[in-house]
This record gives sequence, C-alpha cells and structure tokens, in this order.
Amino acid sequence: MTFNLGPVVLVLLFAVVPIIGIFLGLNSPGLRSRIPIWVAVFAGLIPILAMYIPKGFLSGQTGMSQRMDDWLIILAGFALLLGIVNVLQNNFKKVARRDSGWFYSVVLLIGLFVTGGAGIYGAVTKIGIGFNPDGSPTPFKYLTDWFFQPLQSTIFALLAFFMASAAFRAFRARNVEATILLVAAGLVMVGRVPILELLAVPFPSLHASAASASQAMGKLTEWIMDVPNGAAQSGIIIGAALGAASMALRVILGIERGYLGLGKGE
Amino acid sequence: MRRFLERLLGLDRRWIFLFVLLSVAIPIIVPIGLPVTTTESTRKAFDFIEALKPGDTILISFDYGPSSAPENDPMAEAVMRQCALRKIRFIVIALYPLGGLNLANNAVAKVVSEFPDLKDGTDYVNLGYKDGASAVMRRMGDDIAGAFPTDQKGTPLSQIPIMKGIASLRQVQLVFTVATGIIGEWWITQVHPQSGTPVIIGPTAVSAPKYYAFLNSGQLVGMLGGMKGAAEYEKLIRARYPEMARFYTTTHDFTATKGMDGQTVMHLIVLLFILLGNSAFLLSRRGAPR
Amino acid sequence: MKSAGCITLIGLFLAANVFAAPIDAPATPPPDLPLPQNLIAKDKPGDSGGAVVLRWTDPASLPAGAEIEVLRAEPPANEWQPLDKVPAGTGTYTDTSAKDGTAYRYGVRTSLAAADSAGAVSVAASTSAPVVSEPVSSHDNWFKIERTNSFVASILFVIIILGSIQVARSGKEIFIRRIPGLNAIDEAIGRATEVGKKVMYIPGIQSMDEIQTVASVAILGNVARSTARYGTDLDVPNKDPLTFASAREVVRSAYLAEGRPDLFREEMVNYVTYDQFAFTAAVSARMTREKPAAIFLIGYFFAESLILAETGQSTGAIQIAGQADPTQLPFFVATCDYTLIGEELYAASAYLTREPVLLGSIRGQDIAKGILILIAIIGVVLVSIHVLDLSPFLRTQ
Repeated sequence: MTFNLGPVVLVLLFAVVPIIGIFLGLNSPGLRSRIPIWVAVFAGLIPILAMYIPKGFLSGQTGMSQRMDDWLIILAGFALLLGIVNVLQNNFKKVARRDSGWFYSVVLLIGLFVTGGAGIYGAVTKIGIGFNPDGSPTPFKYLTDWFFQPLQSTIFALLAFFMASAAFRAFRARNVEATILLVAAGLVMVGRVPILELLAVPFPSLHASAASASQAMGKLTEWIMDVPNGAAQSGIIIGAALGAASMALRVILGIERGYLGLGKGE
Repeated sequence: MRRFLERLLGLDRRWIFLFVLLSVAIPIIVPIGLPVTTTESTRKAFDFIEALKPGDTILISFDYGPSSAPENDPMAEAVMRQCALRKIRFIVIALYPLGGLNLANNAVAKVVSEFPDLKDGTDYVNLGYKDGASAVMRRMGDDIAGAFPTDQKGTPLSQIPIMKGIASLRQVQLVFTVATGIIGEWWITQVHPQSGTPVIIGPTAVSAPKYYAFLNSGQLVGMLGGMKGAAEYEKLIRARYPEMARFYTTTHDFTATKGMDGQTVMHLIVLLFILLGNSAFLLSRRGAPR
Repeated sequence: MKSAGCITLIGLFLAANVFAAPIDAPATPPPDLPLPQNLIAKDKPGDSGGAVVLRWTDPASLPAGAEIEVLRAEPPANEWQPLDKVPAGTGTYTDTSAKDGTAYRYGVRTSLAAADSAGAVSVAASTSAPVVSEPVSSHDNWFKIERTNSFVASILFVIIILGSIQVARSGKEIFIRRIPGLNAIDEAIGRATEVGKKVMYIPGIQSMDEIQTVASVAILGNVARSTARYGTDLDVPNKDPLTFASAREVVRSAYLAEGRPDLFREEMVNYVTYDQFAFTAAVSARMTREKPAAIFLIGYFFAESLILAETGQSTGAIQIAGQADPTQLPFFVATCDYTLIGEELYAASAYLTREPVLLGSIRGQDIAKGILILIAIIGVVLVSIHVLDLSPFLRTQ
C-alpha cells in the first residue's frame, strides 16, 4: 500500500486536531471557540500553498487542495439537506398554525414533493431525468421544460420592466454627477441600438444620414464602454480584489471573526 | 400645469410597464427589420475563430440557465454553426447547475440537425454537466479526462476520436464560455492564466460592461455582449457565409437579430420617459416658490 | 568442376541483374545531414511533474525544409520512439507525457524528406543518426517558478498588512473616512423599530466560499446585535444552504451576546430555495406582503439585484446595499438609499467595530493600493517613452 501524504495530513488537520480540541475544550469554552478559527486557518493556507508549491501531495490530482475542493462539494450537498429540512419545518409549521399565506406553503410543499419525487423516480428506475427509452420526456423533464424554464424566464423578464421604471425615477439631472450619468446613459442607449434608423423609417430620404449617424453613435458608445467604463471597472475590480485579499488574510490569520458569530475578544 | 408636472413626476410605474410590454411585443408580431452595426469586441471574436484552421478544436461551455436563454442561445448556436462551416471541432460541456445541460443538449441537437455531416465523436462531442464549476475548470486545465471521464453517453474519452491528442485545455485552441454570472469570469481569471488558452466570452448584457476591463488587458480575445453581441455575430456570419441566411432571415425561429427590433423600440420608449421625467423635473424646479 | 560452378554463379548473377523486374530509379541520395549539438535533457523546473525539457543547438547549415525529430527511449526495451518533429531554429522541446521516476533517454536528429527522381514527390524521410542525452527522469518540484512575481507581491502584501496591524496595536490613531452606508445602518434599524416593522437582510446568493458572503455575514452579526438591542424583528432569507447555516449561528450568537436569547426565533434565518429566480420571486413576494421598513442587500448578487431592489423601493423601505463586484452596482445606486461600493464592503467590520487590529489591516490595504497606483503610473510613463514595458513582469500564470 503506497503512503499518500496528502490525505493523511488532511485527516490530521481537519479531524484529529479538532477532535482533540473539542475534548480539551470541554472545560474551556475559550479553547472550544478557537477550533473553528484553526480550521479556517488550515483551510485558507492549503490552497494558497498549492498555488506556489507544485508537489503532488499538495496540488496534484489527489493532493490536499484538490481533495478539499471535493470535500466542499460534499459539504454543500449535506448543507442542502439542512436547507430542505428547514423549508419543510417552516412551511409545515405555517400550515399547522394557519398563519397568513398558509395556502402558499401548501403549494410550495406540493411542488417540492412532486419535483423531488420525479427526480428520485428517474434515479431509482435508472432512466434518469432526460428522456424515456421510447423518446418521450420523463416527468422531471416535463416539469423542467413546461414549469421551471418558463417561470425562470418570466422572473428574469421582469428585469426589463423594472429597469425602465428605475431609469425613469433615477435618471434625473439633480446635480452635476447625476447629469453626467444621465448624458452617458442616453448616449449608450442610443449607440447600442439602431434608434436613429428606427426614427428615420417613415422618411426614406433620411435613411442614409440616419445610418451614418448611427455608426458614429456606435463608435462613441464603444469609446465610452472601452475607456471611461473600462477604466472605472478596472479600478473597482482592483480595489475590490485588494480588499478581498486583505479580508481573506484577516480570516486566515484568525483576526476577522465576525462571520463565526464571535465578537471582540472572543 | 404644476399639477400635471407633479402627476408626471409621480407617474404610476404600471404605465411604464404597459409601454414596455407593448414596445417589446409589437415588433415581435410585426417585425421592423432594423439593421445591426457591429462592434470591435464582437469582430475580434469572429476574426479569432475565422483564423483557426480546419481540425482545430474549441471548447464551448454552457454556463447559463433558461432565464438568459434568449440572449445566450443565439450566441452558442452562431459559434457552433461557424465551427461546422469551418470544419473546426468543438467540445461541449455544461457547468451551470440548473438547466445548463438541457440548453446545451438542445443547442447541439439543433445545430447537428442543420449540418447532417457532423459526426458525434469525430467533429464534436458533448461531455455533459459536471458540478463544482471552478474545481472542474482547474482540473480540466491539467487533465480533461479527470473532470469528464466519459461523454454524455458514457463512452470513455480514450475511445472518442476527437479527444485524441487533447489531454488538457492546453491542447485546445479556444475556450468559448456562454455565461451568466460568475462562471464566465472564472474561465478568464483562473483557467486562462493556468493553461494560456485564449478565452472568448458571451455574457448577458448586464454583465458585459465589466468584461471591457478584461478585454483591454488582453485576458479576453473577444466578447459578444448580450443580445446585441449575438445579433452582431449573426450579421458577421451572414456576411461571410451568405448560405447561412436561411437560419437567420427566413426562419420562424427566434434569432438575436429579430430580438433587436424589440430592444430598439424599448430603448426609444425608455429614453422618451427619461426625457419627459427630466423635463417635468426641471420645469417644476423652475416654477417652485423660493 | 570449380570453374563451371563459378561460371554458373556469374551467369546467375548477371541474369538476376539483366532479367530482373525493372525498379524505379533510386531516390536522390540524401545529402549529408549535419547533427544537432549540445543536447541537454532536464526535468522541467517548477512544475508538478510529468515534463522533461530538451535543449540543443541546431547545426549551422541545414538544408531547406529540414526538421529536428525528437525521439525517446524508455526502459527496459530502450527502443527509440518518435515523439514529434519541430521546425529548425526552435532549439527546444518539452515532453509532457513523461512518467515521474522513469529514466528516459532522449535523442534528436535532423530529418529531411527526400525527393524522387522526378524531383517532385517525397518518397521517404531520410535522417541522420540521433544525438543522445544522458538518462533523465521527471519529478514534481517545490516551487512554481512562473509564479515568482505573484509570490513576491503576496509576501510584500502580507508584510504591509502585518506591519500596519502592528502599528495599530501600538495605539496609534488610524483614520478611516466616513462611509455613509455604514453610518446609516443604525438609522435604518431605528426607523424599523419606530414603525414596528421588520428588518430584512439578504446576504447575497453565493456560498460561504465567496469572500463577499463572508463579509456580509460579518455585517449581519452587527445588524443582529442592533435588532436584538432594540427588539426589532429580523428576517434573513437565504439562497445558499451553507450561508444559511452560518447566518443562523451568527444571528443566534448575536442575540445571545446582547442578552436577548428569548427574542431569537429559528424562523428568523430561513432557507428559501437554491434557484436564483425562484429565490428572487419568493423574497420579492415576501417584501410586498410583509413590507419591511429596512432592507439590507449586502453580498454577491447577480441579475436578481434590480428585481429585489426595485421591489424593495416600491414598498417604501429604506434600503442599504453593498457589493464588491461592479456588475450590479449601477442598479443598487439607482434604487437604494445607500450603497457600499467595492472594498467598502470589506471595510465594514473594521468600520463598525473600530477594532484597532481591523483598522490597521484597512490601512495596510490602502498602502498596497498606493504602491500599485505608483507602479501603474511609472509603467505608463516608461512604455509611453519607449523605455521599458513592465507588463511581462506583472503577468501572472
């Protein structure tokens, strides 16, 4: 049996050390609250080291970094179970207590069980969630194609309406900055689509001028997107990346503890 | 007059919703056929794929869901058609968890039905969906078979002719990610530095402004921004391959070019509302008692 | 007898040559092909194994069309197998199919396709004998050389941050500019308390592996402490299950820390659904029905940002949004009362707690940003006057 250093170190850091810590911390709450911080330190350091050290046990196909990625997927799966239990608990309670809107909870629960059942049926019968052997869609595919996809598209389509109402409300020339925003937005909106050609449709003699004006607007729009927009986006991305690196360093060093629910000095 | 201005400023948003609905619906029923102008970012993407040789291989990643299908589907179909015309081989994967695989299957089936000479396994292959997006990408950077041991039908990669000589993303000439959300960005920030493979992105219009920074820095070789980018690409394909007109001008299917009519009218309506709102705002400020 | 045998043999020989089937004229004899020199084969440095780099010097005078053929011999058979052919002038080749620990020998030789007597079609490749390397095996290494620049930059960054934290610990006053969005948190919660309505906090739609979500959950802890203190109802709908689990613990700990565990209810932090737009629909409906007085949209959002913010705006709630990624910021700016832009989100925990250690790290981050700006200005000047292009040194791999 070959000795694989990576998994051994992972088990040591994420299983043995926390378990020892829990036992030692039974009488010491302060020590017990340190365990998640140590787990965060190890979990943060390993991918960073894997970036620079190409050794197999660390960054190889079965190395520590790769295995941690796999563990994250497994963790997320169990956390999803936790979430589903929470959905069931909350909605059953709502129905039992006849809280306002309890009927919508019934609809949600029916949807959850019918869709989940269709997926499990596909897994148990080994047909899957695509097509039956005879080419007809499975119940899960039917639900996806005729319920899920249209509903998703509908909610996404709301963006168009909300964008229009937000633009009407927000694009007011209240001050200098708002006026610059308004003018830039107007130029980009005109330059991205053939509005001038649309306006010239009833006037054939203006078609050529509208086309060249539209081309010029398009070039201006490209310049706005490339230069001012590109520069601003780069600036925000770089600043945010530095902020993220600083925050990640604070998490790894155990300085930042707010996300664990630990306050100052805890 | 003052009362009118106040009513205009406080206009019920449902009037705006109604005008938006009409501006998008009417051009779909009565197409206008407005022209499309191309932008540099789309031309760069088109020229890059045109410069590839027959037999080269690109990876097309379906990183979007049904919600953005009207924007992203035309991009994916246009690029796959271009690959079929230029005899460029393409590998299809899906990394978007909810609906990405379905959309990939539908798009591939559509293009394959248009080009009957395309052979599964030789000219293209569909590797299916894998969970864990960024981990999958990093694995593919070194070993594609490690991430996708088989294609969607269960055939091991070692038995698929198109995968011969392609062990990792380093042997692929291009990654084309059709994306909504963060997955597209991961191809640029994680995969491109790791394997050096050029990346073209087809994001939704909402995300497109961010990617100009990556385009300017050379991390992207091209971009198809939203439905406009898809319409531009369709125009470039029709110009270069006139026989493709049958898929874009005479079809009853939805195309990005058709969608641009509605988008143009909607932009005009929104601009009018903005002008009205600002006029009312400025007039009311002028008439306000000191 | 002997002479008859010789004559027979000579006769047979002549017959074989005179009466044998005619053959094509032999191919133009290959020219003398010069050999490559100084072949060195080494393990590829700074990689995770499986690669060997060959370097050689091409011969001085090579005929047109000549290529360098690379071969490899693997024990125990040690038979030469062709790997690839590279154009003359390349001088290097990387074998990426090597197995770690196996001692290979490599050979390079000049190769030229020969023309037939008609001079048109190549009939055979003619080559010279290979130049052979010493045995070499590939292995993984301790450091990725192509990432030296990012390693140096990371170390410098860590030193700057730690140094700034030390300075802060020494008691020096650290200035941090006013961030209106964070100042407004207490105002928003106070308003919700006055009108007797709840506070809704949405920590983005990404999981806890996203640093923006970690920052958002840290801010949630502060918000939860305030709602516990004032006795305001709190609602935290979640799209991601890991975020849901973390958020619940953070809110529970906050209520405990404020001495109000009686006010904490499990339903405060709830899981909705994993689908982006189903989550958006559910939360928008909740906003419309329950009309929270204050809505926090802090974390990593995508296309649903405008739907949530506009719905919140229509209910009349005070809205505070925050995201580091620039994509959705324009929508938040247009619809929310306050927006945390870019790294303001990450500065929130330092700003709200005023802990010297956290403030010190913000200062270190700003110093690093200043250095980057300086490098950018110097780089632009140098490349504009055609002295030096810094971009190859700054490229990460």
